[in-house]
Amino acid sequence: MMYGLDHLGAVQIARGVAKGDFSAVEVAEASLEVIEAKDGDVCAFLQVCAELALKTARETDARRAAGKNVGPLAGVPFAIKDNMHLVGTRTTCASRMLEHYESTFTATCVRRMIDAGATPMGKTNMDEFAFGSTTESSAFCKTRNPWDVERVPGGSSGGSAAAVAAGEVPLALGSDTGGSIRQPACFCGVVGMKPTYGAVSRYGVVAFGSSLDQVGPFGRSVSDVALAMNALVAGGKDPLDATSRDVETNYLAGLDDSVEGMRVGIMGSLMTHQSLSPEVMLGLKDACSVLEDQGARLVEIELPHIDSAIAAYYVIGPCEAFSNLARFDGVRFGYREPGHATLAEQTAWSRAHGFGAEAKRRQLLGAYLLASGVYDKYYYPAQQVRTLITADYQAAFDRCDAIILPCAPTTAWRFGEVSDPARMYASDLFTISSNIAGNGSISVPVGLGRDTGMPVAAQLQGPTFQDQKMLRLARALERGVHEAGLMKAAAIAPAFVGRGR
Amino acid sequence: MALTRDDVRGIASYARIALTEDELDEMCTYLNAAIELLAPIRAYDLTDVEPTFYPMGELANVMAADEPDEYGCMLGVEEALKNAASTRGRAFRVPSILGFKEGDG
Repeated sequence: MMYGLDHLGAVQIARGVAKGDFSAVEVAEASLEVIEAKDGDVCAFLQVCAELALKTARETDARRAAGKNVGPLAGVPFAIKDNMHLVGTRTTCASRMLEHYESTFTATCVRRMIDAGATPMGKTNMDEFAFGSTTESSAFCKTRNPWDVERVPGGSSGGSAAAVAAGEVPLALGSDTGGSIRQPACFCGVVGMKPTYGAVSRYGVVAFGSSLDQVGPFGRSVSDVALAMNALVAGGKDPLDATSRDVETNYLAGLDDSVEGMRVGIMGSLMTHQSLSPEVMLGLKDACSVLEDQGARLVEIELPHIDSAIAAYYVIGPCEAFSNLARFDGVRFGYREPGHATLAEQTAWSRAHGFGAEAKRRQLLGAYLLASGVYDKYYYPAQQVRTLITADYQAAFDRCDAIILPCAPTTAWRFGEVSDPARMYASDLFTISSNIAGNGSISVPVGLGRDTGMPVAAQLQGPTFQDQKMLRLARALERGVHEAGLMKAAAIAPAFVGRGR
Repeated sequence: MALTRDDVRGIASYARIALTEDELDEMCTYLNAAIELLAPIRAYDLTDVEPTFYPMGELANVMAADEPDEYGCMLGVEEALKNAASTRGRAFRVPSILGFKEGDG
């Protein structure tokens, strides 16, 4: 290959493979070499599926040789969060519970990426069953932030974010239940998008919170993310997921158009929230000026019930998780503790030793909240609060095309620095509300923090099923950030540039 | 009213998660702190507010013809059993359900 993988985004790779500048096999081999060279320091991957990657790439090359359509993601290597099934790989959810689980089918999101010509490279580390914001609750390894390996990559899709930030793959899939794509994207200086709930099929993704979970892409640029979105929605509604919707569209169309006159909502009290570190506040200020320079107009909006979003989330999320994780009983799959005389005992001890601490905490919280007498105090009111938050958004979007928000209160912290669960939960304040209301949201890097030197991101949220418009504003923000010299375009973490091919 | 150790023991039993005595203490502290975090849920007047269980409005149950493999994704027996810790013939194997006698190794 003429250029190393460091210099190629998904858009360029797909174009190059389609034109014959290089082959899908060459690209896959380059990605495997880069993973080999870098992943010892990053630990983004739990499993690399080299054979499957090369086989898929060979098929792409054969299609091209036969004059057939190679697909919009031809030869683009991508990584998969380890809660998504892919036949030929294990799906562990980074849990002892599923350590040896062999995928018996392939998730629709993964299938659609492969159908579009992309090459699956492996499964990435995550917080166990996606419970967490640092990837530290993985039962298997500690993923490091490529911008500073002493710091967390964020979570729960920390492995996917780190793999992209280190330049191991140009694209990765994650899932976002309360910020699990956007927050690690923010911490690792890459773009991460949570599409509107229903846009991407959840079939084959191990469920955490069924009314909150949504699959989305990570990339080093907004256009790479838009390209991946095209593949994820291609084919429209998935009959295997009752919550999926037909939103087949071309997210690249008009992506670079001017945002002159578009209105971006801003909520003053959130942009100067007491939990924000000074460097994050500065980064957000820059992001607002950049959007104005690009022609967008800032308008004040209010989301009066947003303060209750965390509470609503930590009712709805654990209740749905408790219900979803009840299937892990050690009988049909998963860890089974030997030596127990009754099924009930076997189940209780299999779950005790198969699940890590945070997975047990969330399930017990859910079990309590769903108990008779408690349900009416928390679960039902939380769903009523969801109605209020959704109405807040609807009113806000009458006045603007998208809302700008912080993504996380601080840049990535050091390992072990935040260990109190309640403090960890509070850090989800800015991302959670769009899972509650279901609208799309995206994290875009806007610079490096003045104090820590770590990436700072802004979050844009759009109205439900208007993700295309949100992406256009995200692209304008990205463009403005590069023009203003706040951050290099499609940056790989500096310590990982030029390693491997 | 804070949850006691006995409350937590009951919740854990219901959730089928065995806890050691130490874990019971930790979980008690955790649950009480988490429930405090949920207080804002009870701060609003929610009279006449309809709940939203899904962020996309009405969802209906999916009905289909009673025929196997409508979508071509049915697992074969071997495939379905391959991740089980213990099987016999075409079945998953479990210990005694009622606890009369150990029926499984």
